[in-house]
Amino acid sequence: MAKTIIDAHNLSKTYNADTVPVKAVQDVHIHIEEGEFVALVGPSGSGKSTLLNMIGGLDEPTSGSVVLDQVEITKLPENKLIDFRLHNIGFVFQSYNLIPVLTAKENVGFVLQLQKIPKEEREKRVLNLLHQVGLEDKLNSRPGELSGGQQQRVAVARALASKPKIVLADEPTANLDSKSTANLLDIMAKLNKEEKTTFLFSTHDIRVIQKARRVITLVDGKVESDVQQTPK
Amino acid sequence: MMLLKLAWLNIWRNKRRTIITTTSVFFAVLLAVTTRSMTDGVYENMIHNIVGYSSGYLQIHQYGYWDEQSIDNTFEENGELNQKLLKNPKVKNIMPRLNTFALASYSEKTKGVLVLGIDPIKEKEVNNLDQKISKGTYLESENENAIVLGEGLAAQLKLSVNDSLVLLGQGYHASSAAAKFKVKGIIKLGSPDLNNNIVYIPLRQAQYMYGAENRLTAISILTDKNTNLEKLKVSLQGLLDSDRYEVMTWKEMIPEMDQFIEADSTGQYIIIGVLYFLISFGLFGTLLMMIFERKHELGILIAIGMKKHLLALILMLESIMIALIGCLTGVLGGMLVVTWFNKNPIHFTGELKEIYENYGIESIMYFSNSANIFVVQTLIVLILAIVLAFYPGYTVMKLKPIDAINS
Repeated sequence: MAKTIIDAHNLSKTYNADTVPVKAVQDVHIHIEEGEFVALVGPSGSGKSTLLNMIGGLDEPTSGSVVLDQVEITKLPENKLIDFRLHNIGFVFQSYNLIPVLTAKENVGFVLQLQKIPKEEREKRVLNLLHQVGLEDKLNSRPGELSGGQQQRVAVARALASKPKIVLADEPTANLDSKSTANLLDIMAKLNKEEKTTFLFSTHDIRVIQKARRVITLVDGKVESDVQQTPK
Repeated sequence: MMLLKLAWLNIWRNKRRTIITTTSVFFAVLLAVTTRSMTDGVYENMIHNIVGYSSGYLQIHQYGYWDEQSIDNTFEENGELNQKLLKNPKVKNIMPRLNTFALASYSEKTKGVLVLGIDPIKEKEVNNLDQKISKGTYLESENENAIVLGEGLAAQLKLSVNDSLVLLGQGYHASSAAAKFKVKGIIKLGSPDLNNNIVYIPLRQAQYMYGAENRLTAISILTDKNTNLEKLKVSLQGLLDSDRYEVMTWKEMIPEMDQFIEADSTGQYIIIGVLYFLISFGLFGTLLMMIFERKHELGILIAIGMKKHLLALILMLESIMIALIGCLTGVLGGMLVVTWFNKNPIHFTGELKEIYENYGIESIMYFSNSANIFVVQTLIVLILAIVLAFYPGYTVMKLKPIDAINS
């Protein structure tokens, strides 16, 4: 039996609780096992990003708990939570969010430096990751010198650099053309298969949804459906 | 290393802003260094001119002499005392002196003068007094029956080299003191006050004239410029019999000069303080812009696992780097200016010269090149940069990653 890697329990988030309350996420239960490739879908304002942020420990839930790999992150003090993210979660954001002054190689290696990985091992892993995302010829390019698709591939390589158990991606293909999207999805699916990394990504993109093996649909902050499917 | 590199790359993201901020720090430091060097140079020179050629940095007197400066309050020359003083490593040299007053008379002119009985050889070695001679020659021995006197005094008495000057005064134990000396040289001292009043007489001649054989009013002590005089005073007091001798620093003997320097320095400190205050606003503005522009990025860095204190450290490093670039170039520029003026001091002429001399200050503006000035300015800017960086650091520590990412 596969190990549970994400366990969100009774998760709720209400904004402006004291004035005009907006319930972004309401009493959500999600249970994801190691190695799953899950799409979180739903219309705009359905609470996808809020849920993803709470699972990643970037936002605090109003109520409920998040347990990642048997650690209840909602109870961790700030520094331990940052440390937990560093070693266990890889983030891919919609607008790439690379460090503009660092090269592709340095951006990917940055997380490893924070983890104090020795230089030799770091270099090896960075080169390997950039090779896997097809950017071995862009090692010394800064984000400004890369296309959107290339930047997002660097962001994926960065997210995977620390060998995280979970990758959380918030609409990773929203700013990409169809070719770059297909390319990125192939890379993510390949890494999911080879490294057994669990992927949870929010998306509107039908091409992304088709690649997922499980699709969770949110509507008005509640889970409307949770279905397994065969990826196309 | 990673943090340093990141901080360095970050400050050059907006080159124009960084250059403007560093330039403002550069000019502030240049101005502060030059002003400080100028005032310190003036003070050092003033102290050297007055202290070096009259009181010395420290003096040993007979106990009670300073309250009643009479030839009767002299003490006997004492080889043992000299040896004790010279044993202290901070004491570089000692000079015996008989300091008193007299009426100087030449032709139809008479004037009250300050008489300083000195050991001409020692004063030559220590103070280079011989190099201050503007006319005639310097004294050759303790027994020579000749004098040198200040240029201003010579002008007032209208006498010149080889003329004879009569001195009249009160000698030891109310004896009358009178003698005639040949003017061997005329001396030009930096202090106009001394220039207008001083007569140097070989020590033995002075003692003979005042009937105070082997007696001194003071032993003047020479030490390094940087010696802590108060500490040295305490250590010398410990060596001496406090019922017989008193030890005084020049600040106690010439308090008006110390007060003048202190009052003048305060004005300078206020001006430099205002300058740095204005610069702080520039630097602070840059730091605020840097943090607000990068709030989203800071949120991302926290999200991917960077601890907040490391981010705060990066911001502090950025602040220090900007300040240091401005400061080090400012110090370098200041060094060039100060070195040039140190070798080519400004000579005032005309009215300005008169004004300075009326205040008893030499009308030459010297610049000090003491390393202390450069170190202090660098430290001030560095501390300023660190203090100012606390606010961005505090902002980072309070940052919620999701709010920063969504900003």
